[in-house]
This record gives sequence, C-alpha cells and structure tokens, in this order.
Amino acid sequence: MAVAPTTTPIVADPAAAPRQAPAAGAGTTWRGHLLRLPFYLLSLTMIAPFYWMLITVFKPVTELNRQPPSFVPEHPTLNNFYDPGYSPTQVNPGHLQGIFQRFQVDFGFGRFMFNSLVITVAITVGSLLVASLAAYVITKHRVPGRRLIFLLIVASMMVPWQTTLVPNYVIMRNLGWLDTYQGYIVPALAKAFVLFFLVQFLHSVPDELIQAARVDGAGEWRIWWQIVLPLLRPALAAMSIFIVLAEWNNFLWPLIIVQSDEMANIPVALARLNSYFTGAQNQGAIMAGGLLASLPSIAFFLAFQRYFTRGIVLSGLKG
Amino acid sequence: MATHTAAPRQRWRRYGTSYLMLLPFLGLFAGFLVWPLANSLYLSFTKFDGVNAPEFQGLENFRHLLFDDDRFRHALGNTFLYVVASVGIGTLLSLGLALAFSGSSWPHRIMRTIFFLPSVTSSIALMLLWKWIFNPGDFGLANTAMTWFGGRAVEWLATPGLTIPILVLMSVWGGMGYGMVLYVAGLNTIPQEYYEAARIDGAGTWQQFRRVTLPLLRPVTTYVVVTGLIGAFQVFEAVYIVFRGTNNIGGVLDSGLMIVPYLYDQGFTHFKLGYASAIAWVLFLIIFALSMVNLRIGRALKEL
Repeated sequence: MAVAPTTTPIVADPAAAPRQAPAAGAGTTWRGHLLRLPFYLLSLTMIAPFYWMLITVFKPVTELNRQPPSFVPEHPTLNNFYDPGYSPTQVNPGHLQGIFQRFQVDFGFGRFMFNSLVITVAITVGSLLVASLAAYVITKHRVPGRRLIFLLIVASMMVPWQTTLVPNYVIMRNLGWLDTYQGYIVPALAKAFVLFFLVQFLHSVPDELIQAARVDGAGEWRIWWQIVLPLLRPALAAMSIFIVLAEWNNFLWPLIIVQSDEMANIPVALARLNSYFTGAQNQGAIMAGGLLASLPSIAFFLAFQRYFTRGIVLSGLKG
Repeated sequence: MATHTAAPRQRWRRYGTSYLMLLPFLGLFAGFLVWPLANSLYLSFTKFDGVNAPEFQGLENFRHLLFDDDRFRHALGNTFLYVVASVGIGTLLSLGLALAFSGSSWPHRIMRTIFFLPSVTSSIALMLLWKWIFNPGDFGLANTAMTWFGGRAVEWLATPGLTIPILVLMSVWGGMGYGMVLYVAGLNTIPQEYYEAARIDGAGTWQQFRRVTLPLLRPVTTYVVVTGLIGAFQVFEAVYIVFRGTNNIGGVLDSGLMIVPYLYDQGFTHFKLGYASAIAWVLFLIIFALSMVNLRIGRALKEL
C-alpha cells in the first residue's frame, strides 16, 4: 500500500565507493574545489533544517519563540519528551506536556512506535514470503499461464496505488477492518515491485541447484524454504530496506483507515499532533516526535547499508 | 471421456503445488489491487456517498470534473506547475551533485550521505519541520534568515504566490540526493577509456561532458525524470501537513491544491466517493501515459 516505486526499485548505497574516479575531470585541483564550492554551500542548506530540528527538541518552552532565536539551546531540557513539572490541574506557561504525555493512550507516544513497529515488521516479512513463493513458481516451475500472470503483475506497477484508495476503503469498512492491524497489513502484502525484483534475481540462479534437491526427494515447499529463500537473501535484504522505509513512513492509507488514537502509526499521530497543538510553544514536543519518527529509519538505513549490495545495483539502467 | 477427466487431474497433480504456492500472492493481488481497480472504474461512473448503494450516472462525474469544476482545474494547473519545476530543478541539481561528488574519497562519501539523508528520514517529520521553519513569527528560521539579509518577516505559508515555490523547494531539497545516487551509479558505468580517447582527440572538459558524459547518461536521465514525474504527480503529504487550513485542504485560496489532496478532500472529507474515483482515474491515466513514454523511450534507446 505504501509508496511503491513505480519502476524497478534501485538499490543504492550513497556512501559506497564507486569503481573509478569521477568523470567530470578537474579532480582535486583548486579548480575542482572552486567548481564544487556551490555544492559545498548547498550542503549547508541540507544540514541547517536538521540542526534546527535537533536544537528545537532540547529547548524549553520559553526559548522556542524568542527573537532572535538561540542557535545553541541555552537551557537544554528533556521536557519536550517528558515534562515532570506538568500538571493537568495547574496551568503553567513554562510547563507543557512532553510528547509522551500528549495522547491519552497507554504508553503515550510509545504506543505509536509500537504500532509502527508491528505493522512494519509484519508487512516486511509477509510481503517477502508471499512474493518469494510466487517468484519461485514463476521462474522455476513450468506452470501454464505463468507468463500471463507475470505480465499482469508487471503491468500493475504502472498503476498509481491511490486509484485503489476508495474501493479498498470500502472493503476495509465492510470487513470491519478499519482501525485494526489487519487493515494496515493485509492490503499491503502483495507488492508487485518486490515480485518483479525477486523474479529478476531468481533468473540468475541456476536451475541445477533446485533440480539436485528435487532428485534428493525434497518437496517443493522444502525447496522454497531451505534452498530458494537462502539463495534470495541478498535480494530479500535489499527489498526489505525499501519496504521498511516505506511502511514506517506510510501516511495516506493509515490516515484513511485509522479512527482512534490507539491505532495510529507514528506519521498519523504526528499529523494529529500538528492539528491539535498549533502555536510555537508546542513545536518542541512536535519536533521531539519527529525525531523519534526519524531516528529508527535513519539508524536502520545506516546499519543495513552494507546489504544494499556493494556499490549500486541498477536494474533499470542496463538496457 | 477418460482422457477428458484424466487431463485436468493429471495437470492438478503436476501443478497443484505450484498453483498453491502462487495462491497467497495472487489472492492478495486480486483482492486488493485488481478488483479495487475495476471497482474504482465502476464507481467513477456513479454517485456514491459510501452509505447508500452507488447510483449509476454515466460520464457525469468526468463531465463535471473536466468542464465545471474550477477547483479541479486549479488542482491540475498547480500540479503541472509543481511537477515541471520540481523535476526540472531537481534533476539538474542531482546531475550537478553527482558530477561533484562521485569519487571514493571520504569527503565525497560524506557529502553523498548528507544529501541522501532526507530520503531516509520520516517524511511527515520533515514536513512538520518545514512548517516550523516557515513559521510566520519573527523567531522562525526562515524569517530570522530574512532579517540577516535586511528583509522583513514574511507570512510564508499564507502568501498564495509563495505556496508553489515552497512546495518545489521542499521537494527538491528532499529528492535531489536520490537522483544524485542514481547519477553516480550511471557515471561509474562509463568506461574511463572513452575520456582518454576524447582527450587524445583534443576535447576539453566541457566537450568531454557534452560528447561523452551526457549522451551516456541518457538512460539514467530518462529514469530519473520519469520516476520523478510519477512521484511528483502523487504529492500529498507536503500539502496536507504544511498548507492545509482548518477547513480547506489546499491552503490559502487553494494555492497548494493538487490532484491527490483533492481526491482525499472529495472522497474522505466530503464523502463523494464516486467523484473521488473519477479523480483517481484521471491520475491513473496521467501516470499510465508517463509510464508508456518511459517504456517507449527505453525501447528507442535500445535500438540506437
């Protein structure tokens, strides 16, 4: 259901070492540095918003709307996460609820992190399992109709998923799946781009490996589980990065199916925060929520960067 | 007779497991993609409020959408402006960044990681951050920067003329690192010998770029541009989070109204589900056409 890449996803590692020197010439001469200068300056505009977010998170309420603003928090505080001085009966303009105190749900913001985690893990594991099964059959079984099925699935990658938004909403409502985990998970499991990628990957795996297992008497399910899945590991790892990032940040579908605060994922909770609490004094807590939303996906990316295959796999560009 | 019954049974024995293994994917695919797609086409010809049964009314939704609905026309115009500007500027900057930082030294790698960072950051968090940066108070980051250059505080998000530029800025800022990574990959597939040959023929840096780099990067450019266009047509979060007013999704005077936010507005705020389906199909046709162009260009390039 998420922001599925419309064409083959590109597995990329921005920090990976390229094969050879840059093509632009100039190299590391003074002229090269001069030519790069605008881009070094541009990188400051990349860092500045992140820095602004980071310092906002640690500013006390009274420092948030000061002019001129402080660029290093003068009285750094964790109150934007949890404010021990806040009391619902005594209004104190210097003390507002931290992000974990804003919602009247168990565990506060932790509840949304838990929801996002459950949904992301379930969709990632589930979609990889069903797609790998189908990809195995399509590439290694000579079943009649497999070409047609594959063609249909590939063609579906040209469909913007928003086209299915209204009918899927009606289906969820009729099934009673609005505001449930299965409403998040089940419609998101069949991912065409994952199947497409796994099929391409399996084409390069020699049939002999599977034939040998068949001769040894292994059943098809066992071959899938014990031979195909381990063989697919690099492809599954690469795809899981795309799925995890997309599902962790998924917004429009959750926005439509979630009704209670309890079932919100992090993006929906943040959007609600944005409409419940306007005003500068709330931005510390909102940015704290944004930080909690972003850190796991950044950390996940940095941790699994090496699985992005060495260098860059560009399936779309070889043609 | 015997052969007629034996064939399917034999076929089932032979392929039963295969079909069983295909079933989970195909079942989900049919249930949540193929059927909804067909259903949304049907709904686009109906009046449907989600409570009463859909009422068939032919092409009325499309007629209204294309000829009577000023808001939709406005949304289309905004979307095209936004798409062209954000993809155009974004692609140029991606290429520039790739040329500047395609090396393997650590400064280049750090630069690439910095520019790629927004691609792995929560997009809602980034949108909330932009909203905070463009806070109308004089303590907002954008307005503070204005005072450094002698300007005055600006109502960034309430000035209709600034809406599309700000949306383009957010899109370019968040997306150029992704394009850069693709271009770096493309640059590294160009054999070094081509440059040597060009130098021997007396080509300068600019000529090498014009005659070697750019033509060989054409498939990457096609890919970056087309996937960029497709993504940009589906913009939603930036409008919804940063510009939505209390009772208007498109911001002041609908200055940020786009196709998907309008679809959401009609379908899930006003519960005109049939009308929303018609909008969804217009979006589908635009993106389908773009994908076909992508295929055709890809094929043409292969024949070269």
